Amino acid sequence: MKKIFNILFYGLKFLLFIAAFGLTLFIFVRMNMRLEKSIVSVLPELIPFAVLLIIFIINMLFKQTRITKNLFYNLTCCLVLGTIIFVCYRAIFDTNMVLNGKYGYGADFNYFDNFVAYIKIMLYGLVIANILFMFKEKDKKDKETKKLERA
Amino acid sequence: MKKILLEYASMFAYTITGLIFGLSFFLLFLNFYHMDELADTVDVSTYNDTSKVNVENKINMIRNNINVYNQDSYTGSLNIYGLNNAKLRMEACLEILESDEMMRYFDLDTIGIQDAYNFTRDFRNIVLNDCVAMQINSMFSTDTVSTLPNFDIIEPYVKLNINNLLNSTNYVQNNLENSDHYYFSTNVNKINFFDIVEDSYVDTMNNYQYTLDLIVEISNWYKNVVIGG
Repeated sequence: MKKIFNILFYGLKFLLFIAAFGLTLFIFVRMNMRLEKSIVSVLPELIPFAVLLIIFIINMLFKQTRITKNLFYNLTCCLVLGTIIFVCYRAIFDTNMVLNGKYGYGADFNYFDNFVAYIKIMLYGLVIANILFMFKEKDKKDKETKKLERA
Repeated sequence: MKKILLEYASMFAYTITGLIFGLSFFLLFLNFYHMDELADTVDVSTYNDTSKVNVENKINMIRNNINVYNQDSYTGSLNIYGLNNAKLRMEACLEILESDEMMRYFDLDTIGIQDAYNFTRDFRNIVLNDCVAMQINSMFSTDTVSTLPNFDIIEPYVKLNINNLLNSTNYVQNNLENSDHYYFSTNVNKINFFDIVEDSYVDTMNNYQYTLDLIVEISNWYKNVVIGG
């Protein structure tokens, strides 16, 4: 059961990552278009997404089972990315927030802006936790290699 | 030593993951709650029926008062330019107050936050701007109207009320525009302090009634001036 959930959340986190990144990028680009700013100025805001993606790729390439098979971490990743998607969804589609309709930019920046800091905190938190889990992974691998050497 | 450090690393990793889990969980459900709260609708059918009757009575009273004066049949000694000016401006105000744009709100049975906001915005743009500022305030700034009897008595009262009305719905509109800032609002808060949908709507409706009351007072003054002069 745990294995099934883990596979589910592990696969889901990549799908959610793509959706969360796409929606966040859309809102940032819209915001910059309104302010007539260069798209380059958006890039620093997307660094946490890029760092998290790199970490996920490293987990995948080096088969770090301590992370890839960590149900709690995968569940937290899904929850964080789900929250980002939900915030983006509300910023774009929730017309009950009257500024969304008043300015007519297609996204409620005033609302989204409140969550940018939390999005960064959550994504950097996942990155830091992932890096700390890697140390443990290394330790476990060392033990396994030592055992093999002794044998 | 290395083992202890690695144990600490694992412990911190789980702690950070747990904290992020908690924060994310909090934000997700806070958003659900906030979305649900903003989608709230309020039944105002009875309130609107009562308000509509009051508004229609006041509008009829104003119309009767200003129809006392007719330029063709007027034989008094007062400045007819002043009387004409006052009558035309009050008639223009009546047209605005009776316009479909404003009266459609009285036909609503339930209102949401968008209705409350649109009502406040239209009240400011149509009633306060086009009627109170452009007609009533201008009326009391013209020389011909100032020659009418008791102008000095009613003018401070009207100016004071106009100033109060012009700023009356500022905080309501600002409050509605800030509704996208998330917050916890319990049912106890909503009942005892401020329900953003219902109380905003009622507050704007009260100001709509105050505007009519002011014009009723002006029309009473006008009627007495015409009959007396």
